[in-house]
Amino acid sequence: MRQRYGKRFLAVVLIGTLTATLAACSKKEEAGAGKTDLGVTFSQIKLGEHTDLKADLKFLTHKTDVVDTEFKDYVTEFQKMYPNITIEYEGITNYADDITTRLTTGDWGDICMIPTTVDKDELENYFVPLGNLDELSKEYTMLLNYSYDNKVYGIPSMGNTQGIVYNKAVFDKAGVKELPKTPEEFLDDLQKIKDNTDAVPLYTNFAAGWTMTAWDAYIDACATGQANFAHEGRVKGDNPFADRGDQTGPYAVYNLLYEAVSRHLTEDDPTTTDWEGSKARLNKGEIACMALGSWSIVQMKSAAEHGDDVAYMPFPISVNGKQYTAVSPDYNYGINCNSSADNQLAAMLYIKWLIDKSGFELTQGGVPVKVNAEMPEFLKAFDGVELLYDVPVPAGEETLGNDVNNESELGINISGQMAKSVVEAAIDGQPTMEDLAKEWDEKWTAAQEKYGITH
Amino acid sequence: MNTKRAPFNFFKWIQSGKVNRRLCVVTFMLAPLLLLLIFTYIPFLKMFQFSFYDMKYIGARKFVGLKNYSEVFSRKDCFQALKLSGYYIVASFVQLAMALWFASVLSFKVKGGGLYKGFMFFPYLVCGIAVGFIFKFFYTRGFVLDTVLQWVGFSQESLPYWLKDKSINNISIAATSVWRYMGQNMVLFIGAIMSVDSTLYEAAAIDGASGFNKFRYIVFPSIKTIIVLNMILAITGSLSVFEPPYVITGGEFGTGTYFVIMNKLAHESQKVGLASAMAIVLFGLILLATMIQKFGEWYFLGVGEQEAARTIRRNKKLKKQYEQQQRANRTEGGDGI
Repeated sequence: MRQRYGKRFLAVVLIGTLTATLAACSKKEEAGAGKTDLGVTFSQIKLGEHTDLKADLKFLTHKTDVVDTEFKDYVTEFQKMYPNITIEYEGITNYADDITTRLTTGDWGDICMIPTTVDKDELENYFVPLGNLDELSKEYTMLLNYSYDNKVYGIPSMGNTQGIVYNKAVFDKAGVKELPKTPEEFLDDLQKIKDNTDAVPLYTNFAAGWTMTAWDAYIDACATGQANFAHEGRVKGDNPFADRGDQTGPYAVYNLLYEAVSRHLTEDDPTTTDWEGSKARLNKGEIACMALGSWSIVQMKSAAEHGDDVAYMPFPISVNGKQYTAVSPDYNYGINCNSSADNQLAAMLYIKWLIDKSGFELTQGGVPVKVNAEMPEFLKAFDGVELLYDVPVPAGEETLGNDVNNESELGINISGQMAKSVVEAAIDGQPTMEDLAKEWDEKWTAAQEKYGITH
Repeated sequence: MNTKRAPFNFFKWIQSGKVNRRLCVVTFMLAPLLLLLIFTYIPFLKMFQFSFYDMKYIGARKFVGLKNYSEVFSRKDCFQALKLSGYYIVASFVQLAMALWFASVLSFKVKGGGLYKGFMFFPYLVCGIAVGFIFKFFYTRGFVLDTVLQWVGFSQESLPYWLKDKSINNISIAATSVWRYMGQNMVLFIGAIMSVDSTLYEAAAIDGASGFNKFRYIVFPSIKTIIVLNMILAITGSLSVFEPPYVITGGEFGTGTYFVIMNKLAHESQKVGLASAMAIVLFGLILLATMIQKFGEWYFLGVGEQEAARTIRRNKKLKKQYEQQQRANRTEGGDGI
C-alpha cells in the first residue's frame, strides 16, 4: 500500500511535467500563427523616423569573424540615430546546420540570415514580409531567392559573382599572358604554372567541405550563358549533367576539375588541405588559384602582405565565344514573424541602415544590392563578360528546385558532394567522368519523376 | 464514535516523518529524472515518431508508414557503411588489450606510475572535435607522423598518404580513437584491479605463482565484469562512430561511417525521416549486439560471482555421470559395501 502510494505520486509528478512541456511546445506553435501587420514596407520605411523606438534585438549571423569588430562599430553608429535600440549579435560557427533547428523553435531572436533550407512556401511561417516584389525591385536587386507570391521575405546582405581567385604574380611568372577563356586553355595554363613555378596550380580546399560548393555555382548561368538555366535547364531539363560536347554546361565545369586532378595540377593530398592557411598561401604565391566566389577576394588580400597580387577572373568557359558570370545573393536578412511589433520595426530599420549606410558589401568585396550602385573594383577585370542576374521561377514551381535537389541527394549548392566525388574519382582513376555524370543523371531523373517532371 | 479528529494541518502533515521522507526522495529524483526525460526520452520518442514520416526540418510532414525502414534496408550505402565498423571493432580490441596490459602493470608499484597514468588518461579529456583537428595535422603529408617516421629511417616516398590512401585511411582514423579511449579503459581496469583483495596475491606469492598466473587466476576472474562492460561499450561505440571520420575526413575517400551517412542525409538532403529510421535500425542492431555479448558473458564467463553457464552445465553432467556410475557399480557389485 505504502509503495503504491509513492509510485502513484511519482507518476502524477511525471505526467504533470510532461503535460507542462507539451503545453509549452504547443503554445509556441500558436504564437507562430498570429502575425502582426506592420503597415509599412521596407521601401517606405525611412531612416530618421521612429527615433524614440525602444527595442532589444538579437541578431544571428554566420559572420563569426567580424562579430566583435565591424558589427560592433555598426551598432555604435546605428545607435547614434536610434539610441534606444540595442542589438546583440550571436555568431554561429556551424551556421548552415544549426540555424534550421533554431528556426523551428520560433524563439530564436529577431534578425537572422535565412538558410537555404526554408522552402519558399514556408517563408511566411517564419519571416515578416518586407513588401511587394514589384515595388521593392525598383530599388533593390537579387530579391527572387526569398520571394513568394509577390511578397519579399528577405533582403540580400550583398551579392556574389562567380569566378576564380588567383595570384597575378604567379600567372605572370609562369608566362601566362592572357587570361584563359576555355577549360582547355585553363588546363594548359595550370600546366605552365606547374612546370615553371613552385606554386600549387589549383588548390581544391577539399577538406573544408563547404568550399567545394563553389563548383556548383558555376554550372548554371556561368557555364551556359542562360540566366534561367538553373530552373529550366537543370531542375526541369532532360539529363542536365550529360556531356554537351562543346565545353559548356555542368559537365564541362566538373570535367575541368576532374582533368586538373588527374593531371596532377592540384595539391598532392586533398584530404589534408587547410582552409585558413590557404588564404595566406595564395596571397604569397604558394598557390596559384582557387575556385571560390567573389566574397573570397577581400579575405585573400588581407591574409598576408602581397594583397596587390590577388586578382579575380571569370570562370574559363565561353559560350559561342562569350563569357558570362552569375550575380547571386549571399545570405539574406530575415525578420522573425514571432517578434513583437516594436522589435520587427526596429529590425527593419536596422536592416535598412545596414544596406543603405553601412557599406558592408564593400568591406566584404560583394556586389551592391541597391539598383544602379557603383560596381566594385575587381569587376573591372570582367570587361566583356556579361553579368547575369537571377530570373523569376514560374509560379507554382518555386519549391521544385529544392525538392528535386534534396530527393536526388546530389546536394547542389549545399554540400559540394558532386565536386568531392569528382576529386575522389579522379584520384582513383575510376569511375570516369562520363560514368559519374551518368550516375548523377540517373539520380536526378528519378527525383524529377517523383515530382512529376517527365521528358 | 464521536471522537473528533484533529483538524488537518498541512504543515504538520508535510513535516511528519513518512511524508517528509518521500518528499525528499521525490524532490531529489526530480532533477535527474526531468533531465533524463527532456534530453533523452522525449527526443528519442520524437525521433521514433519522425521515422514514420516523410519530412524535412521545416515544412509539412507526410505519414509514410514503414517506407523509410524499407529504404534503409534496400539502400546500398547504409549497410555498406556498417562494414567500416569492422575496423573500429578490431581497433577496440587492440585498445582493450593495451589498456588491460598497462593497467595490470600500473596497478602495482611502478616508478612514476602516477605520471604515466596521467599521460595516458589525458587524451580522454580532450574534446573529440579537437582530437580530430590534432590528427588532421598529425597525418598531413610531411607533418608530425611523417617527420617522426623519417627520424626512424623511412623515406618520405615510401610512406603512404595516411588519409588519402583508401587501403589505410580507415586504420589511420580508427587509431585516433584508440589513442583517445585507451586511457579511460585503463583507469577503469586499474580501479577494478585495486579492489581485488591483496591477501590473495600474498597467498599466490607463497604458492610460488608467476606474474602471468597471478593475472590469469586472480586478477582476470575478479575484473571480468568490468572487462565485459568495457567490451560492450567499445563495440557499441564502434557501431556508432561519428566524430573521428566526420572531423578528419568528412567521411570522404571511403571513410563515411553509418552515422556520417545519416548526418549527411538529415542535414544535406533534408531527409529527416529516413535518417531517423536509420537511427532506430542502428539502435536495434546495438541492442542485438549487446544481447549477444551478454549471452556470451553468461555462457562462457559467468555473471558476477556466478560460474559460467557452460561450466555449471558441464559440472551437472559430470555429476550425473558420476551418480549413474555409482548406481551401476552398486547394482553390479551387489553387496560390495
